[in-house]
Amino acid sequence: MQPPVLAEKEQLKVQDLMVRFYTYEGIVKAVEKAKLKLRLGETLGIVGETGSGKSVTALTIMALTPTPGKVEGGNIYFRLTSGEIVDVLKLRGVELLKIRGKEISMIFQEPNAALDPLYTVGDQIAEAILTHRLPEMLERVNQLKKKEADSFLMRLPIFRGIFEKRLLNQVVREEIVQLLRLMEIPDPERVLDSYPHELSGGMQQRIVIAIALACSPALLLADEPTTNLDVTVQAQILDLIMRLKQRFGMSIIYITHDMGVIAEICDRVAVMYAGNVVEVAPVKEIFKNPLHPYTKALLESIPKPGSAFKSIPGTVPNLVNPPSGCRFHPRCAYAMKKCSVEVPQLKEVSKEHNVACFLHGDA
Amino acid sequence: MKMVKVKGRFRGGESPRIRELAFILNRIRRSPLSIAGIIIVLFFTFIAIFAPVLAHPQPNRDPYMMPRYGFSPIPRPPGPDFLFGTTEGQYDLYYGIIWGARTAYRIGVLVVAVSMIMGIVIGSIAGYYKGVIDEVLMRITDIILAFPALILAMAFVVAFGRGLDSITFALILVWWPSYARLVRGEVLKITAEDFVEAAKAIGCSDFRIMVRHVLPNTIFPLIVMASLDIGSVVLTAAALSFLGLGAPTGYADWGQIISLSRNWITGAPGNPFAYWHTYIIPGVFLFLFVMGWNLLGDALRDVFDPMIRRR
Repeated sequence: MQPPVLAEKEQLKVQDLMVRFYTYEGIVKAVEKAKLKLRLGETLGIVGETGSGKSVTALTIMALTPTPGKVEGGNIYFRLTSGEIVDVLKLRGVELLKIRGKEISMIFQEPNAALDPLYTVGDQIAEAILTHRLPEMLERVNQLKKKEADSFLMRLPIFRGIFEKRLLNQVVREEIVQLLRLMEIPDPERVLDSYPHELSGGMQQRIVIAIALACSPALLLADEPTTNLDVTVQAQILDLIMRLKQRFGMSIIYITHDMGVIAEICDRVAVMYAGNVVEVAPVKEIFKNPLHPYTKALLESIPKPGSAFKSIPGTVPNLVNPPSGCRFHPRCAYAMKKCSVEVPQLKEVSKEHNVACFLHGDA
Repeated sequence: MKMVKVKGRFRGGESPRIRELAFILNRIRRSPLSIAGIIIVLFFTFIAIFAPVLAHPQPNRDPYMMPRYGFSPIPRPPGPDFLFGTTEGQYDLYYGIIWGARTAYRIGVLVVAVSMIMGIVIGSIAGYYKGVIDEVLMRITDIILAFPALILAMAFVVAFGRGLDSITFALILVWWPSYARLVRGEVLKITAEDFVEAAKAIGCSDFRIMVRHVLPNTIFPLIVMASLDIGSVVLTAAALSFLGLGAPTGYADWGQIISLSRNWITGAPGNPFAYWHTYIIPGVFLFLFVMGWNLLGDALRDVFDPMIRRR
């Protein structure tokens, strides 16, 4: 018998993922042989500059690779709540729709844009609930119905239809109010009937989170959810996410370029550069003992009061024509001859600490 | 301060739909031109609905054919017998104007509604599937848009044979591409929005996303364009009728009525305005109809634009 693709406590495993964009200028090699692992209940941070492939990786985990992107290879193994293991990239049509929102959810960078301006936030949360939890809701309707006496009106099909519809609305509404309470939204009854533009950014992000958690997913993908918020609101939202994680017992992949946020909430960190995962380590290890030159440079570029601002020399390479060998070598202070010829592979140099660099390990 | 008062009056229930409606009404109330547009459109709607009451049709005759009172070609001026006078061939102008409103509505609404539906279907297919399908559909619309609308419509009418039905059909064929273009552009814009991505991420099917999230977001500019277009469609149809391609002589159609006065525009010797009523009266009605719809379209744009902007 084949060994299981996911170890006992693993939620997700991304293997050699390759995503390419076929554009007019050429083929953009957005994600190249990316490897990621996520344990049950773990928070994994993905850091990297704009264009390093973090968001594309996250979207691809839901099989929502943005056009004109194409997945050219790799596997994404995911453990469903039922315990079954699936390869997300091999799923088609309805199977995918069942996973999105139910098993894997996503929260977005701009809460304002992630909500449809035409519907009240209640309607939008209801959509998520009704997409995946309709049988459960109907079950509750049936229980409520039993309590109602078998009156004359109820024997007429039209009245029964209207009545059931109203009960369903009521049941869903109660569910939403509870959900909004969990999101620490004051006065949920009122917020429920508001349009997105009537709410503040922090509120909108809470709604987006509520939509994502409406079906208690196993994995939450957070794509820079606090980047556009005030620092104080950001702290509240991070706090909320961590508390909800405890409550729902889910795993989180948190994408950001803010090292401060990473330090705050993550268990492990994956550093991405130009479509490659260059270093993966527990969060303390990354800050104490960064090994990859890019990670070091990234940490040094965090502005600190009292010292001069440092940036990484050079720019992110054009991924249509990425540098040969290690993609970081043109900007690397420690580059060797080998770096421009061979691609370094991710390998474990100490416990839990993986790095893709010729300076470390024995290769 | 004034706004607060108005808001208070409409406040009604706490339902969000009612609040939104109150907002729209509030905006319309503040613009006199919008109110003028609405009144004009309501006026014509009233005429069209109550045509049989306002101008009794004669029994056993097609009500759309104007009754004629004699065969003298010289028009009679307005008077107690004939409110708007008669035109060439003693057709009753008043009757023709009243029933002409129905004809105008029939052509305008039918052409715009069918073009809009065609535009929505074709435009959303093109915008959603992109690629080759998009390319083929858009080149077809380009071919039609490349010709001047009136000339192309004339060519179609000549090919189908004269008559109001072929005018309607020809105008639909000429009109739908602009809707398809508009819908395609809007669909392209909306499908790039984050909330479409978000809807995908909660597991909505493509069809549901299209019907519930994309199309409702494209509908506002479409409604504005439709109401502006009803006027232009009627005007174009009148032009075709005036050129003799439309309704048969005596049919209650404004364009056709104006074409009857072609011989009388110059008036009588020494009195250039002797037969003014034969072209001024139907002309004014046509003008008001088109203007009413244009003002209504502008009003709708005023209402919808801030909603689009405050996304």
